[in-house]
Amino acid sequence: MKLTDYMTKDMIILDLKASSPQLALHQLIDVMESEGRITNKSDYYKALVNREAQSSTAIGFEVAIPHGKTDAVILPSVVFAKAPEGIEWESLDGDPVKLVFMIGVPEAAAGNEHLRILALLSRRLIDDSFRDGLKEAVTVDEIYAQLSTVEA
Amino acid sequence: MKIVAITACPTGIAHTYMAAEKLSKAGAENGHEVKVETHGSIGVENSLTQVEIDEADGVIIAADKEVDKSRFAGKKVVIVPVIAAIKDPLGLIEKTQAAPVYGASKQVEEKAYASQKRERSLFYRALMNGVSHMIPFVVVGGLLIALALALGGEPTANGLVIPKDSVWFKVNMIGSAAFTFMAPILAGYIAYAIADRPGLTPGIIAGYIAANGSFYNSEAGAGFIGAIIAGFIAGYIAKWIKSWKVPQMMQPIMPILIIPIIATIIAGGLFVYVLGAPIAGVMEGLTKFLEGMQGSSKILLGLILGGMIAFDMGGPVNKVAFLFGSAMITAGQPHIMGAIAAAICVPPLGMGLATLLKKNRFEKEEQEAGKAALMMGLVGITEGAIPFAAADPLRVIPANMVGSMTAGALAMVWGVTNSVPHGGPVVAVLGAVEQVFFFFLAIIIGVIVTALTAVTLKKPLTTIKAK
Repeated sequence: MKLTDYMTKDMIILDLKASSPQLALHQLIDVMESEGRITNKSDYYKALVNREAQSSTAIGFEVAIPHGKTDAVILPSVVFAKAPEGIEWESLDGDPVKLVFMIGVPEAAAGNEHLRILALLSRRLIDDSFRDGLKEAVTVDEIYAQLSTVEA
Repeated sequence: MKIVAITACPTGIAHTYMAAEKLSKAGAENGHEVKVETHGSIGVENSLTQVEIDEADGVIIAADKEVDKSRFAGKKVVIVPVIAAIKDPLGLIEKTQAAPVYGASKQVEEKAYASQKRERSLFYRALMNGVSHMIPFVVVGGLLIALALALGGEPTANGLVIPKDSVWFKVNMIGSAAFTFMAPILAGYIAYAIADRPGLTPGIIAGYIAANGSFYNSEAGAGFIGAIIAGFIAGYIAKWIKSWKVPQMMQPIMPILIIPIIATIIAGGLFVYVLGAPIAGVMEGLTKFLEGMQGSSKILLGLILGGMIAFDMGGPVNKVAFLFGSAMITAGQPHIMGAIAAAICVPPLGMGLATLLKKNRFEKEEQEAGKAALMMGLVGITEGAIPFAAADPLRVIPANMVGSMTAGALAMVWGVTNSVPHGGPVVAVLGAVEQVFFFFLAIIIGVIVTALTAVTLKKPLTTIKAK
């Protein structure tokens, strides 16, 4: 199982521009919808915003991982976006966010393999070299190759 | 320093693991040994052992949801939101040394029980997990059988028989079906508590084998005591297999395929070939022993039969005494069954009374099971006391035995007879007993003895569990 089992190359965005986290979320949700990964945009958005309201998912070091667990999600999915210009996201260390992993998980999914992969992704994000690699990558294929190294 | 930590967040997908990673890294980079238990959507992983907690210099709980802190009584505990562990892991590690001791005010009374609690911790938790899942089966089965026997039973030479064409016959069968699951569920959930999900299947199957003597050529199964043993064996074997280092490719099939199959084969095989085989021998030996006792004093025989009936409640020892009593009816000695009939209902009635006398000795579920046990006792279903005995065998079994021995010996001395191979007040109501007054007196005295012994031996829950 690999992280890239939960995404397609079309779910990698190279240049996300948004003046607020909310606007960023909407753009990423559109990707989820066009990829047929969600049934209902507003339910999924609500789940993401509720999670954000508990505490910001911008965990510092320029990374945010908005995530929602709801039945509006059909398949466990990850959308990855680079935002070279930075997004103001009330992050833990105050820095703008440049890497966004948006995660969607159905309320009831068979097995927990996807949870294991996402846990592993969370652990890898703590690793400086993993983040730097993603920041330096310029093409979708490069990014896809790096994300595929998150495997269990 | 040695630090143990728990991380948890509401969705359990991301922050739990980032915080865990941060704490481990910060620890490793600064020469501290940090072990982090994660409470995520997957469940609890990387569980802390009691030894690790005991050895730790400090505890960090970085959680945005409720976490059971009772394990950390007496340790220096820092409690923070999960985000704090991501932000400043090293700061938290250092902070533990200045942290207040958790549960310090209750320290004195806890200390006395602390060592005892640690030793029995997993044993006790596993046992209670098995018992709490078994109780509904005992209650459902026991009450249905009790109802069927009380309303549909007719006393015959073969025991209380329910006519095949009556609806009560079906009710009795449904109740018996529930009873069939008692031992497998008890063993299965003991194993589950020890080894998580991979332990469940081996535990249930080993429990089934333990309860079915036909696997090892024995007339009776090993009863609930056998099921407890089966559960622990299956659980520890599954846990041991879980610890094997296997190639990554094999890991996904370990919990659903490899562990259950190997643990089932080993645990089942152990029961069939090693533990089960002697049971048939023990039964034979006990039967011979009882036959040899026939000439001796009535008090002694009553004591022995009562003790055997109460010892394993439906297990091999109980069966031997019961079959001996049944055989003696046909041999023209119904006073032996009289003693047994009195002894049979003492454990469920006695434990039921105990739950009414001292509520603080029993878990909530046990208090409910106590009411059902009273019903079962009235119709002579000894199994009603099994949940109590399984949860706390070393205190409850002796209490049951003392009461049944008393009732058995008194009934024998007073010349109570019973011409139907069944026990409990119901046989008197149906007219199979002579010396009815003394039959009831023996039962009442036995029940009081069991109830008083049980509440004396059992400690109030708060001190055992040391919150």
